[in-house]
Parts: sequence; C-alpha cells; structure tokens
Amino acid sequence: MVALARKTLIYEWRRFLPAMLAVGFAGLLQLLQIALVLGIFGSTSLYITGSSADVWIGYPGTQSVGSGRTIDADVESHVLMDPAVQRVEPYIWVDGDWRGPAETGGVSVFVSGIDPSADGLMFSKALPADLRARLAEPDAVVVDRSVLDQLGVELGQTATINGHPVRVVGISSGLRALGGVNVLCSLDTARRLDDDPADAGPTYLVARLRDPSQAEAVAARLRGDTAFGPYTTWSAKDFAKISVRYWLFDTGAGAGVLFLAGIVFLVGAVITSQTLIAAVNGSVREYATLNALGVGVGALRKVVLEQAFWVGALGLLGAGALGVVLMLLARSQDVPVVLNVPAALACILLVMGLAAVSGLAAMRSLRRADPATLLR
Amino acid sequence: MLTATSATPTSAPALLAEGVSKAFVSGQQRTQVLDGLSLSLNAGELTLISGPSGCGKSTLLAILSGLQKVDSGRVHALGSELGLLDLRALERFRLQHTGFVFQGFNLFPALSAFEQVELPLNHMGLSRVEARRRAQESLEEVGLAHRMRLRPSELSGGEKQRVAIARALAKEPELLFADEPTSALDAANGQMIIDILHRIARAHGTTVLCVSHDPRLVVHADRVLAMEDGRILSDRRPHAPDASDHGTPS
Repeated sequence: MVALARKTLIYEWRRFLPAMLAVGFAGLLQLLQIALVLGIFGSTSLYITGSSADVWIGYPGTQSVGSGRTIDADVESHVLMDPAVQRVEPYIWVDGDWRGPAETGGVSVFVSGIDPSADGLMFSKALPADLRARLAEPDAVVVDRSVLDQLGVELGQTATINGHPVRVVGISSGLRALGGVNVLCSLDTARRLDDDPADAGPTYLVARLRDPSQAEAVAARLRGDTAFGPYTTWSAKDFAKISVRYWLFDTGAGAGVLFLAGIVFLVGAVITSQTLIAAVNGSVREYATLNALGVGVGALRKVVLEQAFWVGALGLLGAGALGVVLMLLARSQDVPVVLNVPAALACILLVMGLAAVSGLAAMRSLRRADPATLLR
Repeated sequence: MLTATSATPTSAPALLAEGVSKAFVSGQQRTQVLDGLSLSLNAGELTLISGPSGCGKSTLLAILSGLQKVDSGRVHALGSELGLLDLRALERFRLQHTGFVFQGFNLFPALSAFEQVELPLNHMGLSRVEARRRAQESLEEVGLAHRMRLRPSELSGGEKQRVAIARALAKEPELLFADEPTSALDAANGQMIIDILHRIARAHGTTVLCVSHDPRLVVHADRVLAMEDGRILSDRRPHAPDASDHGTPS
C-alpha cells in the first residue's frame, strides 16, 4: 500500500507545520496548566501527602484539611484498640494571626501542632529530622523559606501568634500553603496558641497501620462508632483527594481550568483544521482524480484522518519534550508543578481529540473533490 | 433509426447513450448542454470527440464515464445501465472498468511515478506483487521505465502525462477516457501521447474516448465525432474506405 498520507506529510512538511505547532502549543499549554494547578492545589493536601499516616480521623463532613473541627481526645484510645493500628498521634490545626517583628501587619497563618518526636507521623516526609527535634522546645516554630519576607521574620527572631510569643527555630522548604502561611510547632505549643475555649481535643488523629494497604478497610471499620462523639475516618489517599477536590471545584479554580482547557481546545482545533483543510484543498484535484479512477470517498477520508493523526502525534511529541524542559525549569525556580499519569493521559486525550476533530472538519472539504469538476 | 456506429453488428457496443439530455441551471438561466443525444461506441477503437469549447463534449465525457448523471435518457457501459447505479456502485464500476486521463496531470507531488501508478491498484484488491508488476509494466509501456523513481517536480510535462496514462492503463480498464490530454503539451510530446492512446486501443482492445480540439489527433482516431450545441454534427472514420458522414444521430 502506498503510504500517501505519510509521504505527503513528509514531502510537504512546511504545509503541515502550522498544524503541528498549533497542536503542540495547545498540548503544552494544557500540560503546564494542569501541572501548575496540580502543583498549587496539591499543596492543599501537603499535610496528608507529606505525612506517613495511613488513616485520618476527624470531624464528620470535613471538606479540606484546613476546615477541620475538634474531636474527642478519647477517640485515640478507641483507635489504638484496633489490632491493625500501630501508632496514633493527635494533630492540631489552629488558625492564627501572625504579628512579626518587621512591619508586615497581620498575616493569616495555619498553625500545625505536631508530635515532635523522631518517629512522629505528621510531616515526616516534609520536615527534616533536626528541625522536627527543635520543635520540642516550648514556643518554637518552623516556617518555609519562601514566606520569610511575608512574615517579616528571620531565623532566631520572635513574633506572636494570636498574641502568644513564638520563636523561629528553623527554616524548611516545601511547606508552602494556599491562602495562608504554614507554621509548624509542637502539640503543646499549638494548644497554647489556640485561644478558642471551645477547642478541647485535637483537630485530627492520624494513625499508622501495620499494613498500609489495609487503610481503606481499617478506616471503614473505625467509622460509625458514636460512643465518643462525632468523628469519622478516611484513608489518607481519600482524604487527600477530598481536600484537593474541595479546592479545585468548590473554589471555582477547577471551573477556570476547564474553561481554559475549552478555549485551548477551540483555538487549537480552529488553527489545525484550517491547516488541514488547506492541505486537502491543495490536493483536491489529485483526490478527485483518484475518485474518478474509482478510489472510494471513504478511502480518501481515511487519508485525511491519518494525516490528522500524525499531525496530532508529532505535535504531542514536541509538546512533551518542551513540557519536560519547562517543568524542570519551573521546579528549579520553586514553582510548584506536578504531573501525574491521569493528568498526562488527559492531555494526550485532549490533543488527539483536537487532531481528530480537525481531521473530521478537513474531511468535509473532500466534498469538493468531485471528479466531474476536472472535466471543464 | 440511424445510430452513430459502423461496427460489425454482432458485437455489443462498449458504450451506448440513448436520448441523453443534460442542462445546467444557474440562477434564472437554464443552459441545455446535451439535447437528446444518442451514440454507440465499439470496443478497441479510439474515438475522438471534437468541437468548439462549450459544445458539450466534456459533459458528454462526464456522462459516458459515469461521473455525472443525465437529466433524461440512458447510458449503458459494458452492459450496465449507469443511471441505476448508486454512488458506491458507480465508484466500484469506475474502479473495475475505467481509466481517466485529464488535461491537468493531477499527480501527487509527494509520490514517485511508480507510486502514482501503484496507488489506485492498491484499492482494486490486487496483491502487492501484482500491483507492482502492473505498475512496472505500464510505466514501461509508456516509455518511463528509467524515470519511475522520480517525483512529478523532476518530470517534464510530457512525462507527467505519460505517468497519468500509465496510472489509468495499469488498471487494465475496458474504457479509457481522456479529456484534452495533449492541450498542455508541445507538439512532440502531444504526438507521443496520441501514439500511446492509439496503441492502447489497438493492443489492449480498450475503448478509448478522447475529447480534444487538437487537430493532430484527428488522423490517429478510428472515428471522429464533431459536436456543436449539444448535438453530434458529423461522424467520420478517417481511415475507412468510405470516410463520408454516416448521418446525423437522432
């Protein structure tokens, strides 16, 4: 079989270049947008993904980590009784008002009160061991290096949270938050900083299991007991998903992403289909001749679709290569970008869908390939 | 009734048109291009239709080859009535039985001469080996054996038209239609194309119908039909002993 589609694509590559660029840039835009959104909104589940807990216990109906309510401290002993549970520790979330030594005004901070012991679960993946150990000092806090200016503070300086004095004993990285600033301290310090008399117990309990793969089952088992007041359980994976989804969809950010994805699709499809239509029109007399010789319209359509496929595939290849370079560049500049397999697949699907739609549009102009018009 | 044929009465005509009419409407204007034309063509002959531009000769070619439908009348090609075939069946008919050569050569810029010829054969259900054998043979027949790896941009006008003829010929069609095949070529190349078309009719028994106002073609044609205003004015056989008019068709 003579590979008409591919040979034409190679021989007349200049003609197809705009379509490949359009597809490529549409793919690249989409890829970076998704990576940025995942990176930024992924930070809303940092508390979960940066920790080594397998099961989270918190107030029922909690929509994101930052919107938890206190639960009864006695739940801890109930959870510990489950044979699958290896370790349980409280996690206290306090919304605070930071007043730094420099003139910054009030800064809204998210205080995370964690167990500072070496085998603590919270932030075990995000906080270096030496910094964690320093949190054991009373009123010691650790902040991310990216927020020092925002907080108007330097290492060793003191500030106040909710009117209580704290001292910065360490500076970490990778602790950026969305909509505020993360401040890490010990459970004892957090209790002192919480000025709400209604807050009696911890905001969450986090548990590590002997077999992490049992998280779903154990979470389900621990749920539904009301003897200790209202609480519910999630596997860490589920809670992270809930948290990210809340930010994506309940804040309108997700709608923005989808809207932009639609625009990118539309613009890419318009440019690509126009290029493919021009390519079809450029060969319309040859196509008509083939049709006169009895080659069916269906076979000609296949040629156009195949060209669209190759344009999509080559554009995707370019977008992929450039995307990796740009992601590495972003990483090196502390820009949060994350790409996972479903997101990458979504990008591929979008780009190939764009190419397919453009191919279908170009196929319509094959109707002009009427062999009778060659006899004039 | 006088029909425009002088072949032996035993062989059925390869192409038969009966009372064919065709009009084009543009806006309020209605132009009658063909008006009750009847015609019969025999296998193995090179028939030339000549006439001034706008006389309807290209429309007649389109109708006889099944590229256009008639308003009234009937066209029989190789025993099939074309008017009864749907679009798919017409495509299939053309694929199996017809070849075309157009004024413009209409070759794909990206393909070599060999691939241009091989491409339609791929769609005929021939094996790869058979398709290649036929492509090779027909390119040799039009004298392009040494040029078949070249793309159209590397071929002269005459060579391009020979590739187009080879593309039609390789299908081994019973009917070969040519529309002004020499008008874009110089004298020498035009002469070569005429010789090839004539040889195809002779050697393969192909019914060749050629539309042209090129006077050089007349001497090579077995039969010359002169058209004007949608009717056939004269029907001559330049080489026949009685090369006089056989009458005006109905």
